[in-house]
Amino acid sequence: MTDLLRVENLSAGYGPLGVLHNVSLTVRAGERIGIVGLNGHGKSTLLKAIVGLTGWQSGSIQYNGVEIGGTRSQGPGRNTHKIVRMGLSLMPQGDALFHGLTVSDHLDSGAYTPKAWRERKQRRERILSIFPPLEKLLAQPVGKLSGGERRMVSIGRGLMDDAKLLLIDEPSLGLAPKISKGLVEALMQIDLRDGAMVIAEQNISLLEGKVSRLVGLHAGKLKGGATAPDALLSEHMHHRH
Amino acid sequence: MDPYYVALTTITLASIYGLLALGISIIWSSLGMINMAQGFTFALSGYGAWLVSQYIGTNGVVVVAGGVLTGALAGALVGGIAFIPLYDKPNFPLRSLIATLAIAMLGSQSLLYWFGPRVKALPKVFGVGSIHIGSAVASYDKIGTIVCSAALLLITLAWMKRSRRGLEIRAMMQNPEGAALVGVGLRSTAMSVMMMTGAMTGLAAVLLSQNFFVSPFAGTMPLVKGMVVALAGGLGSVAGALIAALLIGLIEAMTAVELGGQYVLITQFAFIIAVLLVRPRGIAGMIEHTRE
Repeated sequence: MTDLLRVENLSAGYGPLGVLHNVSLTVRAGERIGIVGLNGHGKSTLLKAIVGLTGWQSGSIQYNGVEIGGTRSQGPGRNTHKIVRMGLSLMPQGDALFHGLTVSDHLDSGAYTPKAWRERKQRRERILSIFPPLEKLLAQPVGKLSGGERRMVSIGRGLMDDAKLLLIDEPSLGLAPKISKGLVEALMQIDLRDGAMVIAEQNISLLEGKVSRLVGLHAGKLKGGATAPDALLSEHMHHRH
Repeated sequence: MDPYYVALTTITLASIYGLLALGISIIWSSLGMINMAQGFTFALSGYGAWLVSQYIGTNGVVVVAGGVLTGALAGALVGGIAFIPLYDKPNFPLRSLIATLAIAMLGSQSLLYWFGPRVKALPKVFGVGSIHIGSAVASYDKIGTIVCSAALLLITLAWMKRSRRGLEIRAMMQNPEGAALVGVGLRSTAMSVMMMTGAMTGLAAVLLSQNFFVSPFAGTMPLVKGMVVALAGGLGSVAGALIAALLIGLIEAMTAVELGGQYVLITQFAFIIAVLLVRPRGIAGMIEHTRE
């Protein structure tokens, strides 16, 4: 398996605040990785840093062997669109949706390459088969949708183009247990082909046994990583109880 | 009072103000910038159209195209100077306000320097004459103004609705971070917004110059009226801007007929003060309110 994403010594944060400290992580093609950890320990920041949305960052991030990280002290989001166009898709916490636009506009907006834009109708059908409840809501503005429906829109938008690396931030956030379980099921059903998926999630039990490996993030540092997930997990569970 | 005359004048003025206000409104909501240089774009487009009529041809289509193209270029110029270097710096709204104001003043003075203080007249692009429909009389330039601006408005709205670029602009108006996540480059989208609104301003300049002269400071009053309409409509709302343009146009036409042209600005500002007292977010705020 080849390395799709290689993060080395990544530090990142916002203004004077450092959130991530020397994080290293490798994602191989075909993997589904769960990043677990408590609120405020840097899960979202890690995903944001990968697409260049943090306030500042240093260290190396290589996607398919191309450097997309590096040291930067300002301009959050300035290169995000270029990174996204390389084949990364972030479905952020809080969704970053366009409240006045309809569900179908959202799905279309995810089709950023000319090819995907031409095929947007067929691709929309594919998303609707993953998330059937959206079918009836296509003409609705997203501002009127429920939390679960918004998550589906956000994830559906991220799947419209041929992104290889899917970064999903807290799929369960603010959702009823039953709905978040269904959502995670849907995520596991998605065909990765030669891509990979990284899910940041606070609730370990949602991902346990479903992903290739779990990585813990504690106080801005990765714990255990790929080599010793069990030790990490027991420690993490210890924190929670 | 002749109701046909008032109605026709209202719609004519509304189409011109609508073009200007929509430009201001779209720039504000997608780029977060109040574009004080819109008046300069207006004046420069007038000169662009005049140069075209002097050196290339006085054909109506050519002159209108000259104005629209100059407007788009002026919009790109303003975007390149006031948006691209500043947008990710702290306190961008104030910095860009000052930058666009500086462009407006510098630009008007440069026009005065190059073209001199003597006003220029554009050729009558729609010809001279009028159509009689029953008891109503409509001159060619009024009909041409309405048709041209309606056409550009419809094209713009359809483009915003159907094209990928239009969707990108609408997405950026709602959430710039979300837009970046679907591969929308802020800089290039911003430049196309500036060129599009510049083209609208350029058309408004040619249309208004059918009745007024082209001069270095010709853009000041249209800028003020465009701002008034955009604010009364609720910044960022297309429907609100169009309704406000009709209302402001009606007030201008009624005031001119009933009281006299010198009172137009007084009644217009009284109207916007009244609107903003009742609905601080403008007419669009009112529509959203009733929809809920």
